[in-house]
Amino acid sequence: MKCKLWAVLFCALLGGELFSQSFTLSGFVKDSTSGETLKGAVVKSINNNQSAVTNNYGFFSLSLSKGIHEIQISEGDYQPQNRIFNMVTDKEWNAFLFPNPDEIGEVSVRAKRSDNIRKVDISTQNISGKVIKKIPAFLGEADVIKSIQLLPGVSTVGEGATGFNVRGGSIDQNLVLMDDAPVFNSAHLFGFFSIFNPDAVKDVQLIKGGIPANYGGRLSSVLDVITKDGNNRDFQVNGGVGTIFSRLTLEGPIVKNKSSFLISGRRSYVDVLAKPFLPENLTGSQFYFYDFTAKVNYETKRDKFFISTYIGDDLFYAANAFGVKWGNSTLSARWNHLFNEKLFSNVTYYYSRYRYNLEFKIGEDLSFNWNSYINNHSVKSDFKYYASPEHEIGFGAVSTYYIFEPGNAVARNSLGTNNFSLPNKYSMENAAYITEDWSPNKRVTIRAGLRGSQFLYLGKSKVYTYNEAMAPGARRFLESVRPAEDNEVIQQYLNLEPRLGFKYQWNTKESIKGGYNRMVQNLHLISNTAASVPFDVWTPSTNNIKPELADQLTLGYFRNFRIGETEFESSAEVYYKDLQNQVDYVDGANLLLNELLEGELINGIGRAYGLELYVKKSTGNLTGWISYTLSRSERKSDGINDGDWYASRFDRLHNLYIVAQYKYNEKWDLAANFVFSSGTPTTFYTGQYTVQGYNVPDAGSNDRNNVRNPDYHRLDLSATYTKKKTKKWESSWVFSVYNAYNRRNPFSIYFQNNFQNTGLNQAIRFSVIGSIVPAISYNFKWN
Amino acid sequence: MELTHMKRLLYLITILFLGGNFSACEDIIQVNVEQKQKKIVIDAFIDNRHQTQTIRLIESIPFFDIPGTEPPLTTANVVLVDTTGGGISGAPIIFKHDSMGYYRWTPNPATGDTLKVGHSYALIIVEGTDTLIGGATLNPTISRIDSLRTLPVEGNGPPFIDTGRYCEIFAYDLPGTENYYWLKTFRNDTFLSTINKLNLSQDMGNNSNGQDGGLFIYPIRFSNLNEFLRPYRDGEKVRVEIHSISRFAYFWFQLVVNQSNNGGLFATPPVNIQSNLFMLNKNSKRGVAGFFNIAAVNSIEMIVKE
Repeated sequence: MKCKLWAVLFCALLGGELFSQSFTLSGFVKDSTSGETLKGAVVKSINNNQSAVTNNYGFFSLSLSKGIHEIQISEGDYQPQNRIFNMVTDKEWNAFLFPNPDEIGEVSVRAKRSDNIRKVDISTQNISGKVIKKIPAFLGEADVIKSIQLLPGVSTVGEGATGFNVRGGSIDQNLVLMDDAPVFNSAHLFGFFSIFNPDAVKDVQLIKGGIPANYGGRLSSVLDVITKDGNNRDFQVNGGVGTIFSRLTLEGPIVKNKSSFLISGRRSYVDVLAKPFLPENLTGSQFYFYDFTAKVNYETKRDKFFISTYIGDDLFYAANAFGVKWGNSTLSARWNHLFNEKLFSNVTYYYSRYRYNLEFKIGEDLSFNWNSYINNHSVKSDFKYYASPEHEIGFGAVSTYYIFEPGNAVARNSLGTNNFSLPNKYSMENAAYITEDWSPNKRVTIRAGLRGSQFLYLGKSKVYTYNEAMAPGARRFLESVRPAEDNEVIQQYLNLEPRLGFKYQWNTKESIKGGYNRMVQNLHLISNTAASVPFDVWTPSTNNIKPELADQLTLGYFRNFRIGETEFESSAEVYYKDLQNQVDYVDGANLLLNELLEGELINGIGRAYGLELYVKKSTGNLTGWISYTLSRSERKSDGINDGDWYASRFDRLHNLYIVAQYKYNEKWDLAANFVFSSGTPTTFYTGQYTVQGYNVPDAGSNDRNNVRNPDYHRLDLSATYTKKKTKKWESSWVFSVYNAYNRRNPFSIYFQNNFQNTGLNQAIRFSVIGSIVPAISYNFKWN
Repeated sequence: MELTHMKRLLYLITILFLGGNFSACEDIIQVNVEQKQKKIVIDAFIDNRHQTQTIRLIESIPFFDIPGTEPPLTTANVVLVDTTGGGISGAPIIFKHDSMGYYRWTPNPATGDTLKVGHSYALIIVEGTDTLIGGATLNPTISRIDSLRTLPVEGNGPPFIDTGRYCEIFAYDLPGTENYYWLKTFRNDTFLSTINKLNLSQDMGNNSNGQDGGLFIYPIRFSNLNEFLRPYRDGEKVRVEIHSISRFAYFWFQLVVNQSNNGGLFATPPVNIQSNLFMLNKNSKRGVAGFFNIAAVNSIEMIVKE
């Protein structure tokens, strides 16, 4: 494998030299006011339409034939720049673009219009931090995940649910990255807010299909969140005071134009406000969440170094009774190196941890304490070789070591301690990939990639062997157990993951694109609840749990069109996804602190398919998009639903999202969202009986998800009043209303026996948000 | 059951946290559900004590009907046979219909007409054109009960714990084998039958995790025995019975608990709780529900004193 990889690379390097009657123009594209590098900027020769796009670090490399070229660099939110080059040698251009005066100016945006047509990327959407901030959100707080949930193919099981579902996949099938480090739980407060502080976010990219070979490890999507580097020209303060939390971000140069920092934090303060009103037995209670993001970078001519970190927790401590805490921390250290104008590399070390703690306390000497975590250390190297205008080659490798602590639980009382702790699990994941974008002519681009992944389930651990299930879908009981030594390879899984994409563009307004990807997932979030809970446990593939596999085919038609003077961007995509080794659960599975967890799991398959339509308007005073998704997500497991296909918990047939922003005048910006989603499926009881005095509900036959919850719809509104800007100070007030027409959207309808009062069975409609939620927040910027 | 506690806790946190801003809400609504299939329900939890044993037969009713109004099945033949070792030994034990679907049999130790620890039994029921059959083994109960005591607890008031006296049992799991128990608490001879006090144990705890033969863990011997907003007063009587149950019965009960506390943000999919009795008539329109277990019982009682 390695030999072949190097052979390909060698040929590519050599090839680039042999055929070069051309020279390379390379450089970085940056924001002129902050020095932030710009991702996705298009660098184009006006003469022959050859173009390149800046990578995540703002770097581009464009091969040009000998002679004079007029080069234009453009990015949606910036004024384009043109410059003339006489290409008789390799040249360098580090361009600084000026932001549009009002951020939604018409001229500049037009330049970017054809990106969606020209790029080979399919099922991919970028949202910048700036756009996220304009979308009305819950309690007036802009939110990354909530914004993502307004894109085609993305949905959620309901308000307050952690995570998001992409094209019929479960929440753990999304690879959520923050500066390359994976995030295992992206939610604050169960999902009302996400852990990403929008003030620190530069760019968000969601890839739902045709996933390139440099990404791996999850089945459904990649959400790549890149934080800001920090302003390397001027010191700047951003902040906001909201209904539920406040934010503050400081950024500025350490060495002007070479090095900068960013420090950003948020903290909720309901507990501070509530303190005087708490009953006596709850004084000393804490309930809040916070997060802290920091980043420093340093650049030289050919190298750039970054270190970024995130720490965040949700804490709930009721005095002397119970406490819960969960949170993520990540650390990434990156080194970008430019070997020459054609070869760019990025080496990253990252660490990421998700942990939770739960404790109960009764009196002085009775307590229960439970800790769990997943953490990983990883080293990754990515290379990009811009061989020629026709060939762009990426390759790299990654190695990750995981430690899982599924549960360290100790109960103490006057007589001593009881230890319920489960043994830790260890694993290692190695992968290497190569990918090439090949453009044989101006109409066609083909992206072919291959990723090879190895997953090792390692000791020290206990290795469990289970009996065959007595019946389909039944619990499997322990047959034998043996100890495994330190670093013993208990189980190995090898997988090849081919990736393919193509674009065929026959004019400047239209293209069709397609993609195929096979994805492999070796980390599984064990959860059978309607919405994921913070105490759900991540587990690796083991000798009993196989890697999850997904094959996805996607095809799209992309077209830009005009109505009068107004330009629109549109797309229609279809996809089909085939899923194997999906984790399902025996009836009444016991998933917490259960050493024999693997016996509670069933192996299933899944399929998901759909149509996604998207129209976007980015110019003029009224901007926004409409997205519609028609989709199905189904699962099939032995013993569930009589072994037939059934709709998954997150199956929603129709999803319509409308996002609109209107610039009324210099002072007022208005915005609205409308969301409509078909109800999620659920299972209803139909009968009941009494045994030993207990009322037992009865689902009649074995149907799963045979009834639909009512449809979900909601309108949010917001108005932003921006005070007249001075040179140093900008501020605005955001007035928002969530759930404007006060709909009581059911999260679920569930059935329960009111055993404490009437003894009758009831159907209960449970709405997470049962009312209109108004909010005010104040934002400021000083520099 | 841990999950159930956790769900309540999470819910409480959500309310604590967001209470000031808006209200999550639950309202009772009318839903039409059609009961597609009626089930014969067998409530057969019998034990080896020398007192009258009862098995009840009823038919399941629509979900929103008044619980407890299930029509009794009064004309069935209910027979228990000893199947230890594979064949049928001894005379069949016949449970005779008394009233309201209750079928009774009284053992006679003088004639050796009793249920024996270690023996396996089959329950055969013929109801109309349907025949049902199920098996159970009489497992031994715990090795010994050491004591039952009350202890003072300083609580932090509603909604958690009121200050007062609560009881705790010290009993030892039977070592060497995998055992399952059902601890039934009687307060002044009234069984604490609310579903959230259903007290089950696998060996010493909620799941064995390799721990065997020791004292029942804290939630089993203390938390699930008490009603924490109703401490014990002087002169009250407490009795705790420890019934041996089968592994299947343990998981059956766990499902009953899960289904009864299954709502909100963290609900798990409703499931159909499988019985350990089987319908022999494959063409029957009725399903089977309920459970058959034979227990060995150990018990202790006390009068609460300050």
